Amino acid sequence: MLKKKDQLWFIVWVAVVLIVGIWDILFLNKPALRKVVTGFGNTVIISLLVVMITLIQGWCITLCLNTLQGAKNKSGYLFLTFLLNLVRSIPQIVGVLIGYIAVTFLIVKGTISTNLVIFPLLAFIMSTFIFLEMVDLMRERIDHYKKLDFYHAMLVCGISEGRIINFDILWKNSRIHIFNKLISTFGVAVFLQCSVDFIISVGLSTDVSAVNLPITLGSLLAKIDSKQDILAIGHTLTNPGYIGHIFFEHLQGVTVAFLLVVTLLCIFKISNGYSERHRL
Amino acid sequence: MTEKSFSVDIRAQDRPIVSIDRFGYHDGEVTFLFGESGIGKSLLSKAVYGILDQDALAIIVDRQPYGKHCAKAWTKEIQQNSFFVFQEPSSHLNPLMKISHQMTEGSLAEKKFDTEILQYLWQTKDDAHIRSIIDIFPKPYRPSGGEKQRVLLAMAFKKISFLLEQSKKAGANFFVFDEPTGSLDDNYRNLFLKLLFTAFERQPFTVMIITHDYSIISEIYKSYRHLLDKVHFKELSRKKEHQVVLNDFSTKEYLHWLYETGQREVAQTTSKQVLKVKSSFSIFDRSLQIHRDRGRTMPVDLEIRQGEMVYLKAPSGIGKTTLAKIIMGLYRPQKFSMDLDKYSIDENTPRSFWYTKLWGKKTGMVFQHADEALNLQAKVKETFKGLPIKGMKDSSKIKKRLQELFDGELSDSFINKRVAFLSGGQKQRLNLLRTLVMNTDLTILDEPLNGLDFVSIKKVLALLEEKRKQGSAFLIISHNEEIFDTLINTDQVYYLSQVK
Repeated sequence: MLKKKDQLWFIVWVAVVLIVGIWDILFLNKPALRKVVTGFGNTVIISLLVVMITLIQGWCITLCLNTLQGAKNKSGYLFLTFLLNLVRSIPQIVGVLIGYIAVTFLIVKGTISTNLVIFPLLAFIMSTFIFLEMVDLMRERIDHYKKLDFYHAMLVCGISEGRIINFDILWKNSRIHIFNKLISTFGVAVFLQCSVDFIISVGLSTDVSAVNLPITLGSLLAKIDSKQDILAIGHTLTNPGYIGHIFFEHLQGVTVAFLLVVTLLCIFKISNGYSERHRL
Repeated sequence: MTEKSFSVDIRAQDRPIVSIDRFGYHDGEVTFLFGESGIGKSLLSKAVYGILDQDALAIIVDRQPYGKHCAKAWTKEIQQNSFFVFQEPSSHLNPLMKISHQMTEGSLAEKKFDTEILQYLWQTKDDAHIRSIIDIFPKPYRPSGGEKQRVLLAMAFKKISFLLEQSKKAGANFFVFDEPTGSLDDNYRNLFLKLLFTAFERQPFTVMIITHDYSIISEIYKSYRHLLDKVHFKELSRKKEHQVVLNDFSTKEYLHWLYETGQREVAQTTSKQVLKVKSSFSIFDRSLQIHRDRGRTMPVDLEIRQGEMVYLKAPSGIGKTTLAKIIMGLYRPQKFSMDLDKYSIDENTPRSFWYTKLWGKKTGMVFQHADEALNLQAKVKETFKGLPIKGMKDSSKIKKRLQELFDGELSDSFINKRVAFLSGGQKQRLNLLRTLVMNTDLTILDEPLNGLDFVSIKKVLALLEEKRKQGSAFLIISHNEEIFDTLINTDQVYYLSQVK
């Protein structure tokens, strides 16, 4: 297990989350605890949805591009590439922010209200600005194998191109690479979500408010009580004697900040360990 | 002379690789080592020679840790006195050092380099030509594979000549040539053998030659019969999983089989033409021609009829595989014309035509390197899934097909094994079967006997013969000239040449 650093860091992450959870159950007041649990749960669920949608979007667009390229459909291929490059040209944080504003408007208008719709919609917006990395990876893998006898030997046996690409190249020979990309996608999703939620929470306008969006770690961090908790950490620099109070009286903000940092650090370590183990 | 043997066990971190109770050679004599690719010939020789990476592998030699074997005076002595010619010349040569410098570094520095060996191996007296090959930094494509191989052979012969000068003072020696003729044609292979046996006759030394080239046996029986009592033919074969055993190889059986093969009557083919390729074609700004005569004077169309086996010959690098890939629609030529079944095809025929009408339906091709042609991450049974024939989803039917080239009762664990974990010979048989199960009208076989042991060679050829009798036509590209020259009638042999 010690050699499998990715698995070790996953266990570390789960263990830390559990320990923090138990500590919070013991020492954090019930309403705040509920908020933290909901915020953490929502962040994880939305990030997992981003991972799923990124995989589906990436795989579908890769197949579309490959089909258009194979069919020598230059105009179709150019049009799709242009659209993708247009999305690529928008900075991720800006794209997601605009998407979130649109969702908030829909929530305020009452067009959407249930989390069953809001969560996938938020995840879709985020994955729209992430999935191109997946497309690049998949196309790179396909192009690599297309240059080898591997691809030609299967083609001349009458094996369909669809099976060669989907099963032999992407599933059998690239799933490790794809999974590694999905791990980092999860990390990017957590980071983007928290950044955008934080920006929205500090207030863009009277209409676009975090009040309208599901609670996440980012929006919790922007709340006034969490901010005070974070300021308390700074306070301990000049008053070290206050440090004991941090873990009992400022738990909401400290927990949120700690969970964010630990989650991002662990995902980074898991991804590195996974790459190392599979020699990617 | 004494027989020296070792017990060797080699393991990777997660699995055993090869294990043998008695692996060795005859001291002061020549041992030829046969066996299917990937069975462990190179690995065992390297283990004995003391050059395996102890950090990457767990190695036990003679029930002792590898470090002890490497530290032995005997191991150090053979490393000092001998030479190991690696199978892949590129991995032996340092890309950051000129070849001429590499020929005089380390233990090779003991003696000034004699260009006589190089001139002999290149069959030239032109020193400028030799300098143009060795005064360069080696790159994957320069010098060519065959030239790199000859450079390594020259290094080994330098050590041999030094050993001969030292007479018996030098101590233990063990020269290993791992596939020394893999990139050489028969002419250069015979030059190598002549150089080796001439030196050996002056003073015997210990040699192990790892090879898949069974035709070397005929050459030794023809030209070095008087040395047969000093020459041993051994074969490494699988006992169980990773356990292997070293047996004597019956040269008589091989020569008898070759004789019998040459004597058999080839059944008449039908008149139905399967393929006709126009005699001249061009690709990559090169013009190529097909001939019937060895002198390559009159260009002729290449014709293959139903139930016929045609052999295409040419020196390495001329374009045999290129022609095969043009026929299969994988390369787009500048000028080309052929009739395949009822279709007329030329340089303008779109690739989609092969996709819809030919691949897997009328034509199939077995690629040269099984390692590149197969999906190594797939399971054995998955190799057959997706083929355009019925019954390939059923494991029992897949096992039945596999038994055409694999021995004994095939277990579920075998068909569920990852292709990457098969030996080179097993991969090649799988590579052949994937195409042969489709029974296409025309099958192109590019080096079909690559990496196979003698038993597998016989099985593959028997299977091809059976398919041929059923009406399949084959175009064969192979360096195993002796076997295919014996198997195929001279009127079914074509030569390919480049137009100057």
